[in-house]
Amino acid sequence: MAWRRLIITLAVIAPVLWLLAFGFQRDARYIKTPLIAKQAAPFTVTLFDPPTGVREIVLSERSGSTGGARKLSLADLRGRAVFLNFWASWCPPCREEARDLEAAWQKVKDKNLVFLGVALQDTEKDSRAFLEEFKITYLNGRDESGKIGVDYGTWGIPESFFIDAQGRITYKHVGGIRATLVIAKLEEAAKGIVSAQEGKGDITPVR
Amino acid sequence: MRITTLRTIYSIVIPRNVRIQARLILVLSLLLFTHPLYAADAPDLEQQTRAISADLRCVVCQNLSIADSPSEMAQQMRAIVREQLQAGKSPQEIKDYFVSKYGEWVLLKPATRGISLLVWVVPFVALLIGLALGIFFIRRWVAKKRSAQPVTADPKLLARVREEFANAETEKLDLEDPSPRAQLLQERSRLYTDLNELEFDYQAGKLSQADYVGLRRDIETIASTVLGNLDEVAASTAREKGAERRRPAAKQTEVAQPKPGVRGWQVAVGAAFLLVFGLTLGVVLTNSLRPRGGEGDSITGDFLTGTPTASKNDLSALLQEGRTAFNKQDMRKAIDAFKSVLAANPNQPEANSYMGVILMQAGHADGALMAFDKALSVAPNFPMALWGKGMALYQGKQDYAGAREVFEKLLPLLPPGNDREAIVKVLAEIPAAGQKPKMAAKPAATAAASSSSSSAGQITGRITIDPKINGAIDPQAALFIIARPAGGGGGPPVAVKKVDRPAFPLSYSLGAENMMTQGMPFTGKLTITVRLDQDGNPGTRGPGDLDGDYKKNPVDVGSKNVDIVLDQVGK
Repeated sequence: MAWRRLIITLAVIAPVLWLLAFGFQRDARYIKTPLIAKQAAPFTVTLFDPPTGVREIVLSERSGSTGGARKLSLADLRGRAVFLNFWASWCPPCREEARDLEAAWQKVKDKNLVFLGVALQDTEKDSRAFLEEFKITYLNGRDESGKIGVDYGTWGIPESFFIDAQGRITYKHVGGIRATLVIAKLEEAAKGIVSAQEGKGDITPVR
Repeated sequence: MRITTLRTIYSIVIPRNVRIQARLILVLSLLLFTHPLYAADAPDLEQQTRAISADLRCVVCQNLSIADSPSEMAQQMRAIVREQLQAGKSPQEIKDYFVSKYGEWVLLKPATRGISLLVWVVPFVALLIGLALGIFFIRRWVAKKRSAQPVTADPKLLARVREEFANAETEKLDLEDPSPRAQLLQERSRLYTDLNELEFDYQAGKLSQADYVGLRRDIETIASTVLGNLDEVAASTAREKGAERRRPAAKQTEVAQPKPGVRGWQVAVGAAFLLVFGLTLGVVLTNSLRPRGGEGDSITGDFLTGTPTASKNDLSALLQEGRTAFNKQDMRKAIDAFKSVLAANPNQPEANSYMGVILMQAGHADGALMAFDKALSVAPNFPMALWGKGMALYQGKQDYAGAREVFEKLLPLLPPGNDREAIVKVLAEIPAAGQKPKMAAKPAATAAASSSSSSAGQITGRITIDPKINGAIDPQAALFIIARPAGGGGGPPVAVKKVDRPAFPLSYSLGAENMMTQGMPFTGKLTITVRLDQDGNPGTRGPGDLDGDYKKNPVDVGSKNVDIVLDQVGK
């Protein structure tokens, strides 16, 4: 009788506890991306001029694409591994990772790789000031309508996508990312290796 | 052969399927019937956008749909929904697009398939299990109570009860002690007291023989059980602790409720009430909650509290605050309050009138006139504004004809009384000689009144309308001659002059009496502009308004022939 009672009580309580444990451990904000190993959504951004005192990066030097034009389509970058980073000047982790990203870019800029930053929910003035402040030399554009952000399922910036030469997303990292991880994942992308899971760092929810 | 078998299977399967489907439809329609998407047949684009947005979860705030969320992201997502609708996509395609980007997470209503189906089914299953368990336990309690009634007491224990209770003293018991033994001791002492009281009542003749015997037997039986349990506890605590503890406690609760307990139907009614209450609360709350409009806003809006919208409430409160401050002559506070009202509603007649009166008191006849005109543009018969305008024209501008006109308009609006008599008196005072046009009367009057406004301290000139501009001048039109400090782009005017019903070409002079801050010297370099406002209300910009700049701005005070052409048509 005592045993039966115990088992029944446990049978009722255990699932409730499990449910609570599951619920409280889960980050309700976290949105798992369905985009890994999928084709990256095409987009075109108007590029910012490089910060003052920085040598202009002429994409056509290495790509032979739209020389001189300040617009860039993702399709132009087919054939190269792309590091795509969504950021905003008002997001603290974005500021935190900015120097790391620039350092990573300096290390790999001579390889057949592309860094592309896209400012989300940001004014042109603020974005430009951010690029100036961190002396960012890699390509950067602005998502004016927020459509690119939605196309990539952004919800907490910074968000970084790694795209291989065939335009397939190989890895996604939500939140601040370190230079070493950027380089490692970009090299994987260059080889077409798709990661099983996305990564996570410090994030700021979008507005 | 094959077909017939299929048909047989079909005919067997169909009825069941139909039954299942009917049930499913019932459940689904219960869940969905409130939804706008299913309610509207041919909604327009906005409605359709809203309907789809209402099903999509906002990635910023999780528990709001993108239709309700005020976030930037939600706005952008709504724009995408609208765009895709315009591109001819179906609601399902649009939702699929968002699911392809954010996963099922983005749907506020999870799909009714796969693992998400659990979300739909589990609550109902849980409800059924709960009901079944509830019924099961209630039946068991009721059954137990019935079977518990005719317990035959152990004669030995019964004898002990009869022996003990008469001598039982009220023991000091630790009422806080939760241990089974302490509980049983309390129970025993309570029952002994009951027995003693019963005995007393019977002796006093308050009870019939039959009642006494029946009650006594009941209590004695329970007491004997308690005694038995006490013995058992004493024995078991000696042996072990732990799991065994529950049993005597459970038995004790059985005997602790000797009175006829709650009936099954009562429990059922209670449960039904709770269920209905919960459902009502859930429905009412979910329908009445909404995103906060602002910092001080409530999420229920006026649904629960019945208060009018905050901003409106604030306005009347602010007006009251302004009136009180004005009556106390606390002008700073009054101005602040009326300014706040005007910030929310620039044409609020009462606030404008009060501002006019305050400006009049401060000596700004022109500013006051502007304020009164603004009030009258919304409420043409607002007595306070009419009174103020009349006084401003009469005392501030010496425009006797204008003042008379205004006061005569005001007079019939006032009920007989002191106010009316005051106006009649003023009307009698207004010199009949003041019938001539204001512009001619004015410079003479001001020159006489103010020694500072010599011709040296004035800017004079002529204003004309560009002949290329054709169009009538509204009879309500007013001309504003505005002087701003030189150099600055816009900035507040230093001096303003208002000319009602202007006739062009018009000679004007701007002097110290037109300064916004009375008593300040009229000196320095100034930028002069002219504006013809067709409706006479500077607060609104009408399509026929004309603007003109002096071509050689800035000018020095004392300049003559500052001639201006009205050559810009407002839109």
